[in-house]
Amino acid sequence: MKLTALLFIVFGLQLSLTASPQSITFSGEGVKLEKVFAEIKAQTGFLVVYNYRMIRDASPVTISVQNEPLHSFMEKVLSKQSLDFSIQNKTIFIKRKLETPVKNSPREDIPAPPPADINGKITDENGAPLAGATIRVKGTDRVTASDINGNFSLTGVPDGAVLVITYVGYATKEYTVRGNSTPVISLEKLDAKLGEVVIVGYGFQKRRDVSAAIASFKPTEENARPVLSPDQLIQGRMPGVQVSAGSGSPGSSNRVAVRGIGSLSATNEPLYVIDGIPVVQQNAALINMGENMNPLALLNPNDIESVEVLKDAASAAIYGSRATNGVIIITTKSGKAGKAKFTVDYTTGIQQVPYLNKVKMAGSDLYLEVINEAIDNYNMQNNYKPGDNNYMLRKENPYPGLPDTDWMDLVLRTAKTQSIGFSITSGTDKTKLYISGNYLNQEGAVLTQKFERYTTRLNISHQLNDWLEFGANTNFSFSHNDRVPGSNLGSTIMARALPQRPFDRPFKPNGEYYVGGTEDLIYHNPIQILNEENTFLNTHRVLGNFYGTIKLTQDISFKSSFGADLTYTRDNVHYNEKHPYGTGVGRLNDLRRFYTNVLWENTLNYNKNFNKLDVNALAGYSYQKLTNSTIGIDGRGFPSPSFDVLSVASEITEATTGLSESALLSLFGRANLSWDGKYLLSLSLRADGSSKFAPDNRWGYFPAVSAGWNISNEEFWGWQHTQAKIRASYGATGNQDGISSYAYQAQMSGGRNYGLQSGIAVSTNGNYDLTWETARQFDVGIDLSLLKGKLNITADYFIKNTDNLLYSKPEAATSGFTSIISNIGSMRNTGLEFLVSTNLNFGQLQWTSEFNISFVKNKLTSLIGDDALLIGANRTLKVGEEVGSHYIYRMLGIYQDDKDVPASFYASGVRAGDVIYEDVDNNGIIDVNDRQIVGSSNPDFYGGWNNSFRYKNFDLNFFFTYSYGSEVYASYRLTTERLGNAFMNIAEKAAKERWTGPGTSNTTPRAIYGYTWNTQNSTRFLEDGSFIRLRSVNLGYTVPASVLSKLRMSRVRVFVQGDNLFLLTNYSGMDPEVTSDFDPQFMSQDNLILPQLRVINFGVNISF
Amino acid sequence: MNRHIFLSFVFSAIVLAGCTKLDFYPHSSVSPESVSEKDLDPLLHGMYNAVQNFPGRESYIMYDLVGGNLISSGGGNVLAFINNILRTDYAMVGNNWDGYYRALYQVNNVLQVLERLPDSDKKTKIAGVAHFFRAYIYYNLTTRWGDVPLLRVNTTEKPFRTDQAEVWKFIEEDLLAAMEKAPTFSGDLKSNFYYVSREAAQALMARVKLAQGKNEEAAEYAENVINSGLFQLDSFEKIFRKQGNREVIFAFENLTEESSITLSTLFYTYAHPVKGSYVYKPTDDVMNMYEPDDNRKAMSIDTYSSLNVINKYPSGQAGTDPVVIVRLGEMYLISAEAQGLNGLDRLNELRSARNLGPVSPANPEEYQEMVALERRRELLAEGFRWFDLVRTGKAVSELGIEPFRTKFPIPDYERLVNPNLTQNIGYGE
Repeated sequence: MKLTALLFIVFGLQLSLTASPQSITFSGEGVKLEKVFAEIKAQTGFLVVYNYRMIRDASPVTISVQNEPLHSFMEKVLSKQSLDFSIQNKTIFIKRKLETPVKNSPREDIPAPPPADINGKITDENGAPLAGATIRVKGTDRVTASDINGNFSLTGVPDGAVLVITYVGYATKEYTVRGNSTPVISLEKLDAKLGEVVIVGYGFQKRRDVSAAIASFKPTEENARPVLSPDQLIQGRMPGVQVSAGSGSPGSSNRVAVRGIGSLSATNEPLYVIDGIPVVQQNAALINMGENMNPLALLNPNDIESVEVLKDAASAAIYGSRATNGVIIITTKSGKAGKAKFTVDYTTGIQQVPYLNKVKMAGSDLYLEVINEAIDNYNMQNNYKPGDNNYMLRKENPYPGLPDTDWMDLVLRTAKTQSIGFSITSGTDKTKLYISGNYLNQEGAVLTQKFERYTTRLNISHQLNDWLEFGANTNFSFSHNDRVPGSNLGSTIMARALPQRPFDRPFKPNGEYYVGGTEDLIYHNPIQILNEENTFLNTHRVLGNFYGTIKLTQDISFKSSFGADLTYTRDNVHYNEKHPYGTGVGRLNDLRRFYTNVLWENTLNYNKNFNKLDVNALAGYSYQKLTNSTIGIDGRGFPSPSFDVLSVASEITEATTGLSESALLSLFGRANLSWDGKYLLSLSLRADGSSKFAPDNRWGYFPAVSAGWNISNEEFWGWQHTQAKIRASYGATGNQDGISSYAYQAQMSGGRNYGLQSGIAVSTNGNYDLTWETARQFDVGIDLSLLKGKLNITADYFIKNTDNLLYSKPEAATSGFTSIISNIGSMRNTGLEFLVSTNLNFGQLQWTSEFNISFVKNKLTSLIGDDALLIGANRTLKVGEEVGSHYIYRMLGIYQDDKDVPASFYASGVRAGDVIYEDVDNNGIIDVNDRQIVGSSNPDFYGGWNNSFRYKNFDLNFFFTYSYGSEVYASYRLTTERLGNAFMNIAEKAAKERWTGPGTSNTTPRAIYGYTWNTQNSTRFLEDGSFIRLRSVNLGYTVPASVLSKLRMSRVRVFVQGDNLFLLTNYSGMDPEVTSDFDPQFMSQDNLILPQLRVINFGVNISF
Repeated sequence: MNRHIFLSFVFSAIVLAGCTKLDFYPHSSVSPESVSEKDLDPLLHGMYNAVQNFPGRESYIMYDLVGGNLISSGGGNVLAFINNILRTDYAMVGNNWDGYYRALYQVNNVLQVLERLPDSDKKTKIAGVAHFFRAYIYYNLTTRWGDVPLLRVNTTEKPFRTDQAEVWKFIEEDLLAAMEKAPTFSGDLKSNFYYVSREAAQALMARVKLAQGKNEEAAEYAENVINSGLFQLDSFEKIFRKQGNREVIFAFENLTEESSITLSTLFYTYAHPVKGSYVYKPTDDVMNMYEPDDNRKAMSIDTYSSLNVINKYPSGQAGTDPVVIVRLGEMYLISAEAQGLNGLDRLNELRSARNLGPVSPANPEEYQEMVALERRRELLAEGFRWFDLVRTGKAVSELGIEPFRTKFPIPDYERLVNPNLTQNIGYGE
């Protein structure tokens, strides 16, 4: 090739001798531009002035002319280049072509050059190739992606066409094709966090204009976890937001705490606002099966565009009376103008209970050794001789020689999961559309547990004319959940399997069940419970809004939105005649609920720019009405298990219906002011009127103010690559959660019947003074973006004082009521939050990392007097201490000798080998006065660490969550470490470590039958709940575009994802993070809850 | 349509659709002020429901639990079981306290509502029932805790404990009022023993007098009931299997749909046809106390697939059973005990009805032991044993408990919210 070119040039040189000075004769194929320019000078004497860099990437020239005038020769030479020229005197200046749109080109009449093939390359700012970038020819449906070397090819691209290159984390770039068939296109990294848009209450703001504390999370394919509900998505992702799992059951509730404990009532749930509709977060189930169910599991996480958490008062106060515990705004995806995108996602996987070995139980021999030692000790201590009435006989294995039963293995399984979904994103300039559908089928790790869900969504908006736009966001979903008894129920599967005696078995030789609570089996037969009950929860949910926006003037728009969240629930439990609760005839409990939450919201929006001042103002009115209508029928007596409706029941034992209503009327306003992008001020006020309070106390006012200073926009700021913002906010929010619809009214309730005649009785004296719980929060924070956005830091400090705490205040029973809901007490949460993110490139390897950590401290500052209030068996509320304090005896050790036992204890049967409890008041009695605060449910700090790597076509994401300093009360050990004080099986570790004589143990007591001294609530069962969990690992591979173009697909990513793969903890149970109670006063108690499962998923994401 | 029409449409719709309403009222209750004369019957039934349910199911067998009749189904040491219950922070003790006072509130409320209503025969009868219930509640309170706050009217003040003597006096006053005002058993109630009668008040008065050691009067009231001719000793098969009988003077009907008193499930096992969660079982002493011919034995205790069970409440998990509050058998035993050896005939009459031969004790001590044993057999699992031992001074020797455990501890919870309450001696301060 080079040789040929040289020959042509030589040939050309020869020809030039005959040409006239102002014209050129030239012929060449693939000749470099500089050579052509040199030839021009040689033939015409004209000097060509050019910048070498400008023509470095120019394509070689193939041309053949005879006596061509110089001007038209130049045009021909540069026709396929992005270069232009001008001739002045005897000099030709080469310059870049102005990228004017093709149609407006002054040379419109000139026929466009023929379409060319393009072989380009996508790089980052440093020239490193970017794999998987999407390259679209603007205005067409042609699209491709870059391969692992960043290269891409497009055939037959017309000259002047615009390529749109998009790549996650980089600014979208448009590149106009101008003859260069091998463009190298570099993308600029997005200016990190400060540039993005965040959703706020009733609107959105640029991150750089936000002066409040708002955390944001955008789910992507790379960071996806196999979760059922959006609240799980944000677990560990944001500072100040703590998400605790309830259990490993599909669809079960989580607890979300924003900035510590907000109040003493209910579960402290933040307010969820889904597509603008504040929803009521209540237990999705109606029948108590031992754990709560999550209503958010009815939403498809794949539909979610972003989740924002409004943490401080300034951002949350616009939601007024429901915002004390923070506000979580969930925004679903919307359509986009341009080519329709069709995606299909498929995931399949398995899941199972991890760390079963941590709760290993004793085998038959060890079990009998301990039990018989306990019986011997009992007989000996009481001086019972064989033949005495009370003499206990030793136990024997009734099935000697037969293998032990692995009870956990009988009830647990490796469960399968499948999920398939699609989505269509489409739109024109006027109409935008997002449609999605998903089917999910997730088995639980306990036999018969299964969750099935169908969701569909349609989000649409249409611009009717220049002043009216309307649209709708709608979600229809249905779920069917086959549940099993959870840890708070008498038939709990876990606690009815684990502590069974090792030699017992579920079935008699004739195939019938051994029945629990008999000599054959000490607990309910868990297999019988699973097989003979049919418990399902059906939920139908319609959630959506319809809205219209009209432009009143250039600056003012008005929006009216009607939203509804309608949930129909049917919760059934059918115990057939073989179930222990079926009492031989079968029992069916059928509960239904229709919950309607309707909202009408009208807002006025004003946007105006006055030179340097940007004003954005909002005023609104909303009315929200909640209606809860329930029906419940309980009946028994069915001819056979196949009859499962109550019309068949021989006896209806209970039939009730209920109806309650409440409403919230609100007026609100906000003004956001920004001066020159430097000084930010935001003011907001909400007035809420609630039907739950007496007319005089009905209205609450919740103001907030925040200010920010984009200090890096100041002229004196010297660090070009560093951006900084300082912000502060103060405001008030309220809470009315946990009080019933009519709490202020004194009531004589019906239904207090006797002898089948209706009766009434006083059910509450009411509390006319009841009013809002109010939190005042101060927040100061800083946002830093360093090294051109490679390192970003957000830090916040807050003080949140809650007053008028709504609390079910204990009353003397002599008043007729043991408690009354009152505004009493106050508490304080203070905290520090950090979010550090980095974006680094090492050649082709990109690494982004987000680390967050939160330190939140809770303190009850006033309640009823200063004494420790007893709540439950092992907790307290005490002024000056944390809510969630463990209040139990302190175990000091084990008595090693009878002589060490104080006389008063000795008299009640305490001996060597028993637990030493600290007798705080030293009065020889261990009682309530000896209980002490010995720990708390609240961690000292918690957070998460996410890492994303991208190398060529591979992406890898691993994500840790951690928590430090909380204590877990392992109440299940009261059962599994009883050491013979009843005949359930014993944890192997406790059995082996038990006290058998002086010096044998100072932590595990002796085996003794018939005495409960050793199993009182004490630090014996309190454990450190700190942990680090490898929450998720996600490895993806994006199939190269070259392969895809043949398949007519634009993107295919296959992945393998693992959830909960690794847990580092000192906790002796299976999972320190689960809790049997979500009330912050009782958090962190493990009564043998199904732990969070370990999941392995495989899947594929396909886009067309 | 232009934008102004659109706007005015929205605003008029807000007004038309009532989107400003904030007053809502409950659908299952009414305001207390609205109760009038026509609500007397619902008020009466609401009171029955409250007194039946509020104290909780264990309140009816409390004295069996701490009296050595019952023990945890897991077995163990009887004394340890009792000591574990008689603790200041034991939930069951607190629930008893709360339940009786919550029931008392409803009873006092009925009396207070009656005061503002015009006089009528119905009003008088309801007042009589209320007085009976108040006496019944205070009997249960004072026999457990001794000195207890005495509330003639409802109050939100923090009351002090009232001297027990005054409590007894108050109980007697109420019972006298009940005897005067309550419906008559045969006339008004048509012998329906699920409702409170004057005769029930007499019977309870016999119990109250005996508790105070006023034996003469106790015998007199008991004899009055026995001699009224309205009642007669009947078989346990009828009394404890929800059949018509002539022995029961007053019982709570305790219908399944109106009740939270699920006593029966505490006693049966899942191997039993009616199912139960088998929380308590009879102690070995109880299993061995019946003579072979005793016709009470089969209805009182049973052994089912080698597990001992109480058999007086037959429904298991399938429902609930009536709870007998007072019956004629007790009157015979009160009369027998209060008259000393003079009451031997009553003892032997009862024994005869229970298919046992007559006894002829050698001396008063032996006689009283026989009466006590008969009481234990007759009234098993009906809530008598512990207080019988306490009032006869035998609790310490029979049960082996420390002397201070002849009273219940005032619950911690109550003392926290009412600092005016002192603790019973021995339970720490």
